Amino acid sequence: MNTGIINLAHGSGGREMLELIHSFDFTHRGQWENCDDDSASLDIENNNKLVFTTDSFVVDPIFFPGGNIGHLAVCGTINDLAVMGARPLGLSLGLVIEEGFSKQDLAVIIRSVIRISEETGIPVVTGDTKVMENGKIDKIIINTSGVGIAKSEELLTRDIVTGDKIILSGGIGEHAVALLSKKFDYETDIITDCKPLIHEISAVKDLIKLAKDPTRGGIAAVLNELCEKHCISFLLDEEAIPVKHQVRKITRMLGIEVYELACEGRFVCIASQEEAGLVESRLQEFNTDAAIIGEVVHDEGNRVILQTLLGKRILPVPSGRIVPRIC
Amino acid sequence: MEICGGHTNVIMRYGIRDILPQNIRLISGPGCPVCVSSQYDIDCMIELARAGIPVATYGDMLRVPGSMLSLEDIRARGGRIFEIYSTTEVIKLKKECPDIVFFAIGFETTAPMTAYLLNCGVCCYSVHKLIPPALQVLASGDVKIDGFLDPGHVSTIIGVDPYRKIKMPQVIAGFSPERILRALCILMELIRDNKRIVINGYPEAVNEQGNKNAQALLNEHFIITDSEWRGLGVLPMSGMEIADNKLNAKLKYQDILDNVPQPEDTQCRCGEILKGLIEPVDCPLYRTVCTPGNPKGACMVSTEGSCAISFIHGREQNPR
Repeated sequence: MNTGIINLAHGSGGREMLELIHSFDFTHRGQWENCDDDSASLDIENNNKLVFTTDSFVVDPIFFPGGNIGHLAVCGTINDLAVMGARPLGLSLGLVIEEGFSKQDLAVIIRSVIRISEETGIPVVTGDTKVMENGKIDKIIINTSGVGIAKSEELLTRDIVTGDKIILSGGIGEHAVALLSKKFDYETDIITDCKPLIHEISAVKDLIKLAKDPTRGGIAAVLNELCEKHCISFLLDEEAIPVKHQVRKITRMLGIEVYELACEGRFVCIASQEEAGLVESRLQEFNTDAAIIGEVVHDEGNRVILQTLLGKRILPVPSGRIVPRIC
Repeated sequence: MEICGGHTNVIMRYGIRDILPQNIRLISGPGCPVCVSSQYDIDCMIELARAGIPVATYGDMLRVPGSMLSLEDIRARGGRIFEIYSTTEVIKLKKECPDIVFFAIGFETTAPMTAYLLNCGVCCYSVHKLIPPALQVLASGDVKIDGFLDPGHVSTIIGVDPYRKIKMPQVIAGFSPERILRALCILMELIRDNKRIVINGYPEAVNEQGNKNAQALLNEHFIITDSEWRGLGVLPMSGMEIADNKLNAKLKYQDILDNVPQPEDTQCRCGEILKGLIEPVDCPLYRTVCTPGNPKGACMVSTEGSCAISFIHGREQNPR
């Protein structure tokens, strides 16, 4: 609804957010390319591309099964660089903290940041800390930016053609369901899928054409975005899309669309028909749920079509916030 | 016609329309509670929130617009609007906000949970509606509906008997795609044989008598009145009003609510779309002022309503 103010739907990664971004004029981009992608890139010396991205993290609750907001903030930015085919070089960490926030909680969050930084070998090299009056923000907001580097030919911005296959690196919806289970007090074994994707992407980088991490808006958002951008359509086989049993049950119970739920440690990638099987098997070494879920088809609609158990349906661009249905 | 929004959701989710023979056309009925809540009632809740009174309701109600704004818009402007999933959350909220008002929406299924809140002394604004009177209206006069898939969850509460007054082939259906297909199959046989009876196609959950405890709660806390349905207008004896005046927000806050004007007639033709008399494109509001981003009628509010389906997916563009 166009009421002249920002509402939560504008931050949900769906149609409203895209409309908001496109309402501004960002035409001055200098020599930077791929500015609408997960990271932007700039030609530098010796056939290298500098890759740059930023992301802000607000999450409720800040501690959730399997992770916390610090964990999320570091993985999110590393993954945005990785899906472009870049080797991340360094990160920044910006903290906005609410007055009254527990130092102990902050230490837990920062320890997660440091742990992932050490495990991946990607250092946090600069940062900023601000504190706001109690009640002006909700606990803590984190922003991370990251730079990476890639050879021009390594950049995952290759052309897609009809017949190419879509491969998903693991089960979807686990991160969102871990948060929902905390919010609605469900007992479940599901924990966040949040993790750095650099090793998985490295394993298939030479075989794939492009990759996307389905964070906000889930695979529904990223696949529709690809359709729009590349003027293609996807036909997905619903039965092939990996969704853990408990994730399926909880999303059915709440009446929410699992394809719209955020993942923080998964990616979808596209490979030629010939290479797709190899991509799938390499990814299965990291996660047995990895699977080919569909293909690029000839259809003028530039849309995502789901072949369900019975008929076909369209998977639209997510819109509004994710709320449980009452009926 | 499938009456229940939950059925429409399953039909959409499994592309069931896509696999049905050409001679079967499914029309989405009035069984999505957030969609049939009237603009006037939403305007009233907005007025209460503007007056500083905290309001709690189910999450999917928040984005449904009244005549100008939605509860979500009011929350963005600082209104105290709480999104709940279970009515037990309202009990917790009442400890922090003793004057909280629960915007009680839904059919016979959610009304017993509101009755529980009334038992706990929570002030409510009831727009609860009854399914059989709406079916009676849809089945009478000029309609092009040949049969109803009756709602599964509502039937667990009311049982089978209330549908018998409605002279239309009907099958009560469950919610898995198999159950819906089975119910459709039985319904086609009833239509073929011109049998205007009700078959319980969901005996795993629905019994003849319904849930007596829930019915007793409803009888204790509600009285049956006329009620306004978005798209269908005022339907006689189709609403549940709160029996205890002290807990009825409409009376408690009458001075505030008296300021709320009745919305102007929008020329919305949802009623005829719901009866299968016209197609969405025949409504003058469709695609012009009524869109999924700014829905006016019930059929556009829900992503599963006939108009929203037609708008988003376009029947002519159905994938084959």
